[in-house]
Amino acid sequence: MEQSKKTVNQHSVIFALIYGATYLPATWLLKHHVFSQPVSVIIAIVPIITFSIFIFKLIKAFSVMDEVKQRVQLEAVVIGFSLTAMLMMILFLLSLCDISNPNWFGYAHLVGYCWVFYFIGWFISRKKYGV
Amino acid sequence: MKNTIKVERAKKNWTQAELAKHIGVSRQGLNSIETGKFVPSTLLALRMAKVFNTTVEILFQLDDTEVAAFG
Repeated sequence: MEQSKKTVNQHSVIFALIYGATYLPATWLLKHHVFSQPVSVIIAIVPIITFSIFIFKLIKAFSVMDEVKQRVQLEAVVIGFSLTAMLMMILFLLSLCDISNPNWFGYAHLVGYCWVFYFIGWFISRKKYGV
Repeated sequence: MKNTIKVERAKKNWTQAELAKHIGVSRQGLNSIETGKFVPSTLLALRMAKVFNTTVEILFQLDDTEVAAFG
């Protein structure tokens, strides 16, 4: 039982790394090379597939966590989601005032901020429950 | 919420890791419950009471402020 929990957790970490290993080269390729549209779409889809598998593994890992860890994850997601929603709302309102900086707040950056906010939530929640 | 997990654990001479293994939670998770930072589910409380051969009411009690608020 304990071993299978460990394996499920390891799988989610491995697939997170695989996702990172496909996302970064894919963005680099699409940014610095010119491909035909079908090839570009295929390159763009690869990290989406690895991300989907990672999320599937993460949900599986969540289901075998003990209830304290589940609470920590849940609070991390709530904090992460709230902060991301707030940032997007601020960016939208600023764009209505013609204030926007795509160099810092493009789609790619939003993905990064989303993860940063999740980890902030994770840190806060871990501290709260002392795990 | 107060609890007597530490006392019951001492009676059995178990470490946190040993008790955690018996009830199927992580050691850090058990520590969080024991220190009152996390209130466990009914299922986990019952499981804990079973391994200590006691009742949930002995393991967990409302503290004075909770009694005053809802008493």
